[in-house]
Amino acid sequence: MRLEMSSNRQQRLCVAMMRNVGGVIVLSLLLVFVQLAAGESFSPPGTPKNIICRSPEKETFTCWWEPGSDGGLPTTYALYYRKENSDTVYECPDYKTAGKNSCFFNKNDTSIWVTYNITVVATNALGRAFSDPVEIDVVYIVMPNPPEEVTVTVIEDTNWPFLRVSWEPPEKADTRSGWITLIYELRIKLENEDEWEVHPAGQQKVFNIFSLRPDSTYHVQVRCKPDHGFWSEWSGTTFVKVPDYFPRERSMWILIAVFAAFIILTFTFIWLSYMKIHNLKHYVLPPVPGPKIKGFDKKALKNGKFEDIFSSLVVSDFPPTTSNYEDFIVENLEVFVPEEQELIMEDSKDLQDDSIKSENSTCDNDSGRGSCDSHTLLIDKGGGDKEEALQSDQEGSQDERVPTSPEEVMEEDLLACCDEKNSPDISEKVKFTPSLISPLPRYNLMNQPNPPEIGKKHCLSDSLLNPDSLPSYFTQPPSTKNDFRSNPWECNFNHKQHPLHPQTTGKEHLQVQNEISWVHVDRTEASLGVQAPSVRSTEYVEVQRVSGGNMVLLHPVSAGQENSGTMSHQTEHYSRVKTVNNDSGLLLLQKESTGEEMGICLSEEEVESRATSNGYTASITPTSEKPMVGINSTLPILDDRMASGYVDTATMFGLPTY
Amino acid sequence: MAPIYNTSRHLKALYISPLFVALVCLAFCSRLSRMKAASICTNSQTGCHFLSLANLFDRVIHHSARMHGISNDLHSEFELYFLPSKNRVSRNCHTSTILTPNGKENAQRIAREELTEVILKLLLAWRDPLWHFHQNMARHHKFNNLSSNKSLEMSEMVHELRKGVQKVAEKMQMLGIISNSLGTLGSREALLASDSPEWRLMNDYNLLYCFRRDSNKIQNYLKILKCRIVPEHGC
Repeated sequence: MRLEMSSNRQQRLCVAMMRNVGGVIVLSLLLVFVQLAAGESFSPPGTPKNIICRSPEKETFTCWWEPGSDGGLPTTYALYYRKENSDTVYECPDYKTAGKNSCFFNKNDTSIWVTYNITVVATNALGRAFSDPVEIDVVYIVMPNPPEEVTVTVIEDTNWPFLRVSWEPPEKADTRSGWITLIYELRIKLENEDEWEVHPAGQQKVFNIFSLRPDSTYHVQVRCKPDHGFWSEWSGTTFVKVPDYFPRERSMWILIAVFAAFIILTFTFIWLSYMKIHNLKHYVLPPVPGPKIKGFDKKALKNGKFEDIFSSLVVSDFPPTTSNYEDFIVENLEVFVPEEQELIMEDSKDLQDDSIKSENSTCDNDSGRGSCDSHTLLIDKGGGDKEEALQSDQEGSQDERVPTSPEEVMEEDLLACCDEKNSPDISEKVKFTPSLISPLPRYNLMNQPNPPEIGKKHCLSDSLLNPDSLPSYFTQPPSTKNDFRSNPWECNFNHKQHPLHPQTTGKEHLQVQNEISWVHVDRTEASLGVQAPSVRSTEYVEVQRVSGGNMVLLHPVSAGQENSGTMSHQTEHYSRVKTVNNDSGLLLLQKESTGEEMGICLSEEEVESRATSNGYTASITPTSEKPMVGINSTLPILDDRMASGYVDTATMFGLPTY
Repeated sequence: MAPIYNTSRHLKALYISPLFVALVCLAFCSRLSRMKAASICTNSQTGCHFLSLANLFDRVIHHSARMHGISNDLHSEFELYFLPSKNRVSRNCHTSTILTPNGKENAQRIAREELTEVILKLLLAWRDPLWHFHQNMARHHKFNNLSSNKSLEMSEMVHELRKGVQKVAEKMQMLGIISNSLGTLGSREALLASDSPEWRLMNDYNLLYCFRRDSNKIQNYLKILKCRIVPEHGC
């Protein structure tokens, strides 16, 4: 029983257990089913999306798709395509080469200029899904690989280094045969910047980049595209370091220099325009001051009014008192007319000298070189004329000086008779104090050509100095053939340093008068001897007229007589004695009127004498205002000088010369 | 004696003057011939005409590129504005009868003469259809002014490009690069193609599509031809 009871119990237990297990199983199954129904549902696959086909070289192409949902079940994808105008459906030949969810068409399967109709089908246990068909033509889906072998080099040939970027087309793209034509593009940026600078490069494979920043690193990338297609990816970055160079400063300095030069030029122009041309000319080429000796006024000589001429030589209130000295300068010639005068005159012909020349020891400080030179010029020209001219020049210069130095003696014996004859032995020097006259170079005397035909006489002034007679004047004996007019003509000749006659100190008058100017004449002893004792009292001589033969007719005038009419007290008269003829005629120095008298003031008393046959004219222009006179020295230069006190180089050449 | 002398002189003049004239003529003729000779380059003188052929090719290629660009613009414009829906599928270009290489190898394998011929055929086949297309567009105001100008330009370009390619072919024939078997074949087949009524059945969109492709073919074939014949310039 017990066994029976246990077996019954066992059977009951087994049944219970069986029931439990089944319940469990059912429960579990239920659970499973419930789970399945609640979480994932199996469904047909979703449609593949975004089919993209690309060809790297227009010979093959690859299509990628995006799978949709797989429906919980393993899904397979298939790509089918149809070619243009054909109903044959082909399946993708290669699903593997291009990776997952891709299809690769090799060369054999690729036809260009043929439309492909591609569809991707997703299949799973529950169904299929067809994607939207895509029509492609391989020609228009070309997307090449990025360019290869991108090299960047820094070219440093010049001061401005630049980058040269070069590359090669991607290997697969066949550009050599003309199958594909690629155009390129590159971009560059500095290392620490974010923005790229894009440069299209066309079909070339080399590109230059300028304007680099020194001492910095650049990133360079290149990409390409067929003429109808898609841009490739950017190539890998190429790094390049630009060395440190120095160009900017140089250009900056150049700019600065150019601007500075420009500014300087403008300022120079402004300054030039500010300064007048005249001033500029004087600034650059300062005119040479000339001698300040007045002489004859050319115009007066031209006009032939001897009275006026000679009146200018005459000082009205002679003998001048000390107070009047400053007022005017008178040139006095001492005419010595002894019995032996003629002899002397004849001898004087032999005597050399002509005019008294001033020693050239020193040139006047005040007058320029021209004044010194003028004498030389004078001498060179005409021999004795020059000497006289020199004297007149000296006088002129003296006269010019006088107003400036009132204490100087007004009367000066400047004129010496000019002996045109050459006596090489004799050299007459006219010495003037530096203050008044610039001494002349000595050699002039030696070089004089003295045309004997001129027939000038020595001035007897050498021999004149009569220590006794204060005023020493040249006088002519009444026996002269010349007619004497009323024109007094006085010439004072200051004689100095006569070797035989220590007259330098002898003549008070002279001294008083001639503190400044001395005329020194050296003569041969013979001449001196001859002349020395023949000094007589001098007296005034009146110039009657100037004859055609270079003769000045003088007639003695009683001392003290003054012609008020023709003389102007206020004026300074200057003349130079050119020659003294055999008849003791006194020939006034003259010179050709050059017409270039500058600064000559002509007063009513201006006298001009007509040119004689020799063309000599003497003109006296009394100029009270100006210390300078227009005389006319033989030196045309003097004119200008006198006129202006300076030798103007410009006008120098314009003056005629003898 | 005098008259004899005169006659002899006259005789001399008679003989001399034609000689003189002949000399002058010879000089001129030689000059002319020289000038003519300058225009002909034989094959041996390599540097003589090849450069000019390359220039011709470049011009023609540029021309074809421009033509293709215009056709592309028109096609995309048409696609944008007129949105053909279902007609796409049945696309049949009237030039499909012309056998054209559809791959690089095929294009490189084909002979130069054939390639040139293909180009000429294509160009000839599109002369009339494009002209009618333009007329159609202008008449029905289907395009705006800019597009109608483009269509006119397109049709003219086909005409000029064909002349240009013919000149290139002539030059090549002259240079001996290609044989002279070109002329007749091309014209016959092309005439056939152009006479086919198929193109009249094409709608505008299809026509534009087909022409876009064909202009691309022409451009590509010309490039291949150039790089085969004158490869030193930009290939």
